[in-house]
Amino acid sequence: MELIRCYAREDFVALWDYDLENPRRDMRGFEVGELLQDLDETEHLQKDRARKIPLKDLKSDLILANGARLYNDHTHPEYSTAECLSLFDLIAQDRAGEHIVLQCARRRTEQRGHGVVRLYKNNTDFEGHSYGCHENFLLPRSIPFDDVVAALLPFLVTRQIYAGAGKVGVEADGSRHHQGVFQLAQRSDFFEVIASVDTMTRRPLVNTRDEPHADPTLYRRLHIIIGDANMCEWATALKVGALRLVLELLEAGNVPALELADPVGAVKAISRDSDRRWELELADCSVISAVDVQSAYLERAQSQTAGRDAETDWVLDEWQAALQALAADPMELVGRCDWVTKKWLLDAFAESEGLDWNKAEDRAWLQSQDLEYHNVDPQEGLYLMLEGAPDGSVVRLCDEATTKAARVTPPKGTRAWFRGHVLEKFGAQVRSLNWDSIEFDVDGRVRTVDLRGCVDADTAAIFNTRLDQAGTVQELLAALASPPTAKEAP
Amino acid sequence: MSPKMRDRAPRPKGPIDSGEDSNDESGPRRPKVDRPKTEDLLRRMRKVDPNQARRYRQRTGQ
Repeated sequence: MELIRCYAREDFVALWDYDLENPRRDMRGFEVGELLQDLDETEHLQKDRARKIPLKDLKSDLILANGARLYNDHTHPEYSTAECLSLFDLIAQDRAGEHIVLQCARRRTEQRGHGVVRLYKNNTDFEGHSYGCHENFLLPRSIPFDDVVAALLPFLVTRQIYAGAGKVGVEADGSRHHQGVFQLAQRSDFFEVIASVDTMTRRPLVNTRDEPHADPTLYRRLHIIIGDANMCEWATALKVGALRLVLELLEAGNVPALELADPVGAVKAISRDSDRRWELELADCSVISAVDVQSAYLERAQSQTAGRDAETDWVLDEWQAALQALAADPMELVGRCDWVTKKWLLDAFAESEGLDWNKAEDRAWLQSQDLEYHNVDPQEGLYLMLEGAPDGSVVRLCDEATTKAARVTPPKGTRAWFRGHVLEKFGAQVRSLNWDSIEFDVDGRVRTVDLRGCVDADTAAIFNTRLDQAGTVQELLAALASPPTAKEAP
Repeated sequence: MSPKMRDRAPRPKGPIDSGEDSNDESGPRRPKVDRPKTEDLLRRMRKVDPNQARRYRQRTGQ
């Protein structure tokens, strides 16, 4: 809570409107009474309630100048990037988030006057407590949800071969005999069911939360909880970029016909496979490798989207290069793929210090290096030190100037641009806001701007132009009440 | 399945030996992994508290 509030350097004013949120609503047409928690978290929540801190204070939601949201989620600082239409804008916004939370940590260190507040962009404490890095995509509501699940399962289960962040050891399952294993992904231990609305325990491969933050008659928000938090920009870009192309295949009815025999078992088995064979069984009892599953999606994506634009071609090229490297020699992906980069560092360190992965004391030091890989302070974090090294072994997609600008600038041409600039221009009159609405105080009356339709580039352009032209909130409201002119219409 | 080959930008030089052994093409190939080029990085790794992961305890999140 205090860490989040260090961002503003001024008294906290609660603006986030929770009335528009309902994480208990399920895509399958029902609502659950409550979301499940694990036993530890149930105890923590009881302590939270006993402290009698109002929810708004506890969460300390902030809307940042770049259109992002920063808040306290179960004592983790959660940075939700602004909505992006471009993959490379997303990379910049993600890196900006690292800078922002690092700034908060440094200010909090100063405030406390003792010790150092450190933040790690990872997904586990190595003791069975996980916290996610979520991706969100808008999908047409017209696609049946069963089709979404069927299309995504083989892809999501195998995506970790290039998108995993790597982890020393195994959590959950009581699998102590696997402790010497280096896994591909931090999150794979924590998935127990195929589809569910829960996110804290009994986690699903496909989350069914139905909270579109957009017109619910037109859209679903696909809430992907299975991904790792990546340090490598390349890995973030390929993780999100490949999934975006797969969703386009889904919309076109062009996904490969693959059905896994045991998706939940396969996600763990692939992550823990030290032989890197990554084989999984299909429903027809045949066996296929994770590389071939990904290749099947890639081939369809190449046929459907190659040559469309530079960003799409970047994803297709890197996706193909990644699969070729993974099939031949994964170590070619040092500096691109997090699990490979981390393993390379850990092997070098283990060799240097004579450590044995199967000895508990040695493994504890390796887990400490694993944690340090994710430290967001470039003076301490192993990944960030490697990124800053002069030998150029890390692939960068976003330079420092772009990241710095993204700390205070929303992605152009988006709903986030409107949100960020409303706060800059008319912040004193904003009464509350959420992803898809802004309430103003206007002469003692509450006036609301509905942003549920402002999700595509054409509509966002209209909203943003009218905001630029408005001198007052009243002028803005009047302008937004008018239909698009012939010049504005797409 | 073999994805269609496409031209791509040259990769930055990495600090990895390909591990190919021209004298022995039989058996599994184990890539040789060099140490990080920067001594600073290894020095930093030696300074990491061996027990920090044991002390790093978090609440479950989403």
